[in-house]
Amino acid sequence: MKHKEIPSKEHLSYLRKTQKKNVVVLILRVSLLLLLLGVWELATAMNWVNPFITSSPSRILKTIGEMYKSGTLFYHVGTTLWETLVGFFLAVALGYGIALLLWWSEIFRRVSEPYLVVLNALPKIALGPLIIIWCGTGSVAIVFMTVIIGLIIAIMNMLSGFMATEEGKLLLMRSMGASKAQILTKLVIPSSLPNFISMLKINVGMAWIGSIMGEYIVSKAGIGYLIVYGGQVFKLDLVMSAVFILCVLAAAMYAIVAMIEKLVIKNK
Amino acid sequence: MNEVLRFEKVSMHYHSKQGETVAVKDMSFSVNEGEFVAIIGPSGCGKTTLLSLAAGLLKPTSGEVVSRGVSFGYMLQKDELFPWRTIEKNLFLPLEIKGKRTQKERARVLALAEKYGLKQFLKNFPSSLSGGMKQRAALIRTLALDPQILLLDEPFSALDYQTRLSVCDDVYKIIREEQKTALLITHDISEAISVADRILVLSKRPATIVAEHDITFPESEPLRRRENKEFSKWFELLWKELNV
Repeated sequence: MKHKEIPSKEHLSYLRKTQKKNVVVLILRVSLLLLLLGVWELATAMNWVNPFITSSPSRILKTIGEMYKSGTLFYHVGTTLWETLVGFFLAVALGYGIALLLWWSEIFRRVSEPYLVVLNALPKIALGPLIIIWCGTGSVAIVFMTVIIGLIIAIMNMLSGFMATEEGKLLLMRSMGASKAQILTKLVIPSSLPNFISMLKINVGMAWIGSIMGEYIVSKAGIGYLIVYGGQVFKLDLVMSAVFILCVLAAAMYAIVAMIEKLVIKNK
Repeated sequence: MNEVLRFEKVSMHYHSKQGETVAVKDMSFSVNEGEFVAIIGPSGCGKTTLLSLAAGLLKPTSGEVVSRGVSFGYMLQKDELFPWRTIEKNLFLPLEIKGKRTQKERARVLALAEKYGLKQFLKNFPSSLSGGMKQRAALIRTLALDPQILLLDEPFSALDYQTRLSVCDDVYKIIREEQKTALLITHDISEAISVADRILVLSKRPATIVAEHDITFPESEPLRRRENKEFSKWFELLWKELNV
């Protein structure tokens, strides 16, 4: 319950205390990052470690700057981002749809169970050569990799969400004479919304794994390509820069999902 | 009196890998219009099966459940309000399912909600209501389709004792005022005595009827009945019958 009256002194001091704590945590987080970067930079500047092997924050910035100037930065970022997003949405949509089918039909569910278990345990990278032969060496192969990495997990997550619908609520719907389609749209789908959000969060990570792994196997552009290429020609500045860009992108995508979560789930 | 529901030698068997369980055996009874019938039995004796049979959600293995075109409203142990819907939307749920979302039907449900003190909560989500209020909302939802018979499956057992007494009183008054027939299933003897016109006592599984009593009290409200000295006599008698 929310109170609209003027808060008491104790409550104000409580609010101030929690706010203070949050600020302290934030400051510590930022200082830790600055400290790590500082030590890294210092260690290379003083030649305690070899910057050719370890790279350094300033060299990373310089590399990214050069990529920006030559126009390759957005080309590579765009390629990977596009592959990741397409793979992500395909895996989520297909996973949701297949999970719905499995919820609907018990026979279908029981028949597919061992297949799902095996496919889930299979390291998808093992399919690398097949994917190249089937899908060629372009973006299609990478999107395919992203989809198969996310798909099984999406199906299993959503199905367990659908199956966890409370028995009492199902009985209530049946007692009102609800059809299976009504039970699905009015009860099962809305009640599994938290599962959907957590499935999105998991699949954000899966999509990045899929697209980078796909680019490792076969690619002509993208962040994964930069990492592999940089490693092969021993340009570790390039590898570190690519990893840094990847961190930023993955965090941004996760933040977007977290925002969607806040918008969608208000009444918990 | 008009008979609205009749069980005729109804038996119900459940099948599982472990074998066959007889949940209900040769049960015959009838419910008349406007009556409040309570069925009490030891826990796990197949009471919920009985309600599902009455509502037509289950088909009996043998025998017959006769209900001539009457409509049922089901009230469960927990309120089962959907937390993602406001109280108003929860109350409209049965209308949506039956495709009866007309202005007239909605106005009727809203009038019921207003009459029983839910008006101020209509735009709230269930999580902001007390347990008693939620159960009241669940009853209004049950009444939304204007059913002839209410099937109550231990509707108060999830509430704490204080709330249970007042919600029981509350629900009883609403059911009487709306002139509904009610079939209550419970393991709580005192609850049954405090609301019912007639009590059927069930045996352990397989459930059969071991006794039937017409309950008459000068007072009708549950809380007043509990104060009557007849109350403890009934309690003793039913308690013995349950434990034979």
